Amino acid sequence: MTRWGMAIDVRRCVGCQTCTIACKQEHGLPPDTAWRFVADCEVGEYPDVRRLFLPMQCMHCAEPPCVPVCPTGASRQRDDGIVWVEYDACVGCGYCAMACPYQARHLVHEANGYFEIPTPSEAAQARPERHGVMTKCTFCKERVDDGLGRGLQPGVDADATPMCALACIAGAIVFGDLDDATCRVSRLAADPRAQVLMPECGTEPRVYYLAD
Amino acid sequence: MATAMRLSRMEMLPAQRQVLWGWPAVINFALGGLGAGWYVVAVLAAGFERSPGVTVASWAAPVLVLAGFAAVAAEAGRPLRGPRVLMRLRTSWMSRELLVGMAFVLLVAADLVFPLRLHRAQAIVAAALLALAQGFIVRRARGVTAWDVSIMPLLFLLSALVSGAGAYLLAEVAAGRPPIPALVGAVLALVVVAFVAWARYLVWTSEDSYTRAVAPLREGRSVLGIDGAGYGLPLLFGLLALAAPAVAGPALGLVGLLLIAGQVYAKARLILAAGRLRPITLAIVPSRRRSS
Repeated sequence: MTRWGMAIDVRRCVGCQTCTIACKQEHGLPPDTAWRFVADCEVGEYPDVRRLFLPMQCMHCAEPPCVPVCPTGASRQRDDGIVWVEYDACVGCGYCAMACPYQARHLVHEANGYFEIPTPSEAAQARPERHGVMTKCTFCKERVDDGLGRGLQPGVDADATPMCALACIAGAIVFGDLDDATCRVSRLAADPRAQVLMPECGTEPRVYYLAD
Repeated sequence: MATAMRLSRMEMLPAQRQVLWGWPAVINFALGGLGAGWYVVAVLAAGFERSPGVTVASWAAPVLVLAGFAAVAAEAGRPLRGPRVLMRLRTSWMSRELLVGMAFVLLVAADLVFPLRLHRAQAIVAAALLALAQGFIVRRARGVTAWDVSIMPLLFLLSALVSGAGAYLLAEVAAGRPPIPALVGAVLALVVVAFVAWARYLVWTSEDSYTRAVAPLREGRSVLGIDGAGYGLPLLFGLLALAAPAVAGPALGLVGLLLIAGQVYAKARLILAAGRLRPITLAIVPSRRRSS
């Protein structure tokens, strides 16, 4: 059984936001909407302070609190663990965003661009079905599914790998099948230093962070 | 093991105020609770008979509940897909809220057309479920620290009854039918119970993130508006009405107004001021300054 997941080595992350931009470009996200971002964090108290970059996105939880609260069934989880939104079914109530402990859901209000008139690129990437509904990181499921259809291995072959992992200049983001013991992501997830965000929420995130 | 013991949970991203649910959500929670509570109090006060008070509540309560639904629909990104909200009754309290809300409206309408005690009994069950469903909606919002507490449904039920009692008192006084002292006593007892529940909610856990999340509900403005005007003054004026029957009418009218205003304000503060998303934390080894 495939179980897609991600491991992010925060020790490698330099906070360049390349993954943020790659995601926005790949999915044609409008201004003020970013399915992922890198938080620039100050950790500790003076004088024991250090800087740490924390890439944030949907955790594709095994027990996603956003899915059962959805009143229309638009918020769904696939058998391979990817949590996604069926745009045509979403009413845009925002309940899933209230249920998500990771601030990973975003309501796209209207078709706004960076300028008064949409640029050719914005016009080409316009997705009217996403207006007025909740949106989120999909683990680039279209790339993953298309790649699998072509016999590629997500996480290994570029064309089948989520854009953030592909674009990361530091190799900090690793994607793959957590149930495949030979996969790099499963080895990283098994590392004693690997942890998930806020395990007390009981959501069993499938994005692991490696930190000192 | 030694490493694990040295780990410390650090706040990486601070709590942020939620911005998706605004006044329309407050209006839905306030009007839904008010309508449901008003009908329950009116029917119980009349002993399930068809009193004038029940008739007034039967017309007003469904309008309030539907107005709440209309308000929250206006906040949704795709309001025309509203009927789809009934799709997930098995898991979503928002679906259940709409279902019991519609059931309440239909049962009250049925009672207006074919007056039956059975309709009234079923309608007050639906009304209570509506108030509870709204509480569970908030309780299942796991991303909001101040909402994700198990007392929330009880809090919403008590809030609905308190504001409904306020509406009932106001309507009865306005119609020149001051309630009997026993009923006033029961309302005051309800207010005390609701206040105790609210006070308990404010100190539900001693976790730092929770304490910070509910801090807006414990600051001066909230204390004045909720604790003072919403609970304290109604108790005072209610006791005055019991002690001095000559001023019972105006005093109870004031009690009614204050109870409604206090609960609306409490819900507004709960959703708008205390609605803060959880801080993001990560367990890391605290750094130590290098010695030079």
